[in-house]
Amino acid sequence: MTKHLQRSGINRRQLIKGLGAASLLPLVGGVTPFAIGGENAGKVVVVGGGFGGATAAKYLKRANPAIEVILVEPAETFYTCPFSNLHLGGLRSMDAIAHGYDELKDRYGVRVIHATAEDVDATAHTVRLSTGSDLEYDRLVLSPGIDIRWNALEGYDEAAAEKAPHAWKAGSQTEILRAQLKAMDDGGTFVMVAPDNPFRCPPGPYERASLVANYLSQYKPKSKVLILDAKDNFSKQGLFMEGWERLYGDRIEWVGLSNDGRVTRVDAERLEVETEFGTVHRADVLNVIPPQKAGWIAERAGVTDDSGWVPVKPETFESQQVEDIYVIGDATVAAPMPKSGFCANAQAKVVAAAIAASLESRPAPEAYWTNTCYSLVGPEYGISVAGVYRVQDGVIAEVEGSGGVSPMDAPDATRALEAEYAVGWYNAICQDTWGTQA
Amino acid sequence: MKRSLRMAVAPVMGALLLTGVAAPSLAEPTFSSEQVALMASGCANCHGTDGRLVGSVPTIAGRPAAVLETRLLAFKHGEPGDTTIMDRIAKGFTDEELAALAGHFAAIDPVDKDDSNNAQEPQE
Repeated sequence: MTKHLQRSGINRRQLIKGLGAASLLPLVGGVTPFAIGGENAGKVVVVGGGFGGATAAKYLKRANPAIEVILVEPAETFYTCPFSNLHLGGLRSMDAIAHGYDELKDRYGVRVIHATAEDVDATAHTVRLSTGSDLEYDRLVLSPGIDIRWNALEGYDEAAAEKAPHAWKAGSQTEILRAQLKAMDDGGTFVMVAPDNPFRCPPGPYERASLVANYLSQYKPKSKVLILDAKDNFSKQGLFMEGWERLYGDRIEWVGLSNDGRVTRVDAERLEVETEFGTVHRADVLNVIPPQKAGWIAERAGVTDDSGWVPVKPETFESQQVEDIYVIGDATVAAPMPKSGFCANAQAKVVAAAIAASLESRPAPEAYWTNTCYSLVGPEYGISVAGVYRVQDGVIAEVEGSGGVSPMDAPDATRALEAEYAVGWYNAICQDTWGTQA
Repeated sequence: MKRSLRMAVAPVMGALLLTGVAAPSLAEPTFSSEQVALMASGCANCHGTDGRLVGSVPTIAGRPAAVLETRLLAFKHGEPGDTTIMDRIAKGFTDEELAALAGHFAAIDPVDKDDSNNAQEPQE
């Protein structure tokens, strides 16, 4: 039995069972938020203030304002990975991808603690913070994003990332890479090392290559982009390649796995990388997007498996391994849903509804998820992928006939419209997540 | 999909009051309000929370249910025309779900009266 039931003095699960769940459900659903206040409604700790965590905190409060919600996030300002490629390409300031927590605090009554969650005691239902204090929870939501697998790629450790930035977590890494790109001499080569699946934001490397090429074509026209890829196929591939040819000619070169694209060693000092079959490529700016895993706190909580990612129950995103811990976003195994900010936001809403229901001993509503993801091939050239997902036969499945990517050979007007919608998309999802618009 | 056993009308008032919605739509009683709210929350990522955002993506809060439903059904069943992405998304929902979504957004006041000045105190 979970702690909140003991604390609340009356075991509501038992009470409901005794009275017959069906007869009581409408009453509980309609009255609880107002009739039961404070601690009886339950206490939820959310770790991580990105697309997943911030959305979970907000939608928990929207589901039932009486639930005590505490958000733990070290940063006071969160920089989004979406649109960070625009900063790299000189199209958007860092301020314009920065978001804060005022709406969660002031409008929704979420308690925001700027600290790092360092450990989880799942038995005691507590989270240890970097401040030294412990937070108790009835339900825990982990939205820890990704961590880099340092040294999984030979030579690529934290020190190497200062010289050859990954920029796969937005913030100082993004700024280092931007500064390097600006300082690069005309005629230089921007080399990107792209990882094998699964990784955060499947189309992200290719959007980045696009917007770097866009910048180079304007300011350093003799320069090139070389992508060395550990796989043979990538997200929106046909659309990207069509756009690259159209906008950038042969400025972007993509080398896939079959053509010896897989990098096995990085020398960040010399800005060199070596591939599987021994080809050495020298870069003027080196962007290494390395192998990844679930954010570290997920390991501490015992929710990761041998893959380094987190298996979850499809209907609710509760951990398959640890009761009362729900995990969302890039950290989870949620295929065919991609590791995207949009999916993290969508999963957070399912988790918020599932937790609100579980705190009232009701079954979770049926889960739906959507994904909509725009990529900019150029400032006025947008492409998209969409998907609608449900649980079918116990696993997450894309609804047949739904979703898919933008059409090939579309007129310029369609690409321009999708570029415009990409900005609308960014504004909307950030408003929905943090209440802020850049 | 089995939905006939799900909670029907009773919780609608409570849930809608929470989200600050004045007029509940009871047009689609086969889905609980909780269910529709969860389904509808998936629209917010592009249309803003409660479908209220004004921008390049159209605002959907407060538009007549019939208009929204007609548009959604056209996205799903019609020729792809004046949309870039909604045809791909609408195909993920049943006609009944699209009708419920139309009713949900039609009932939302496009003006967010709870914004900023009306903020509640943080609960410590």
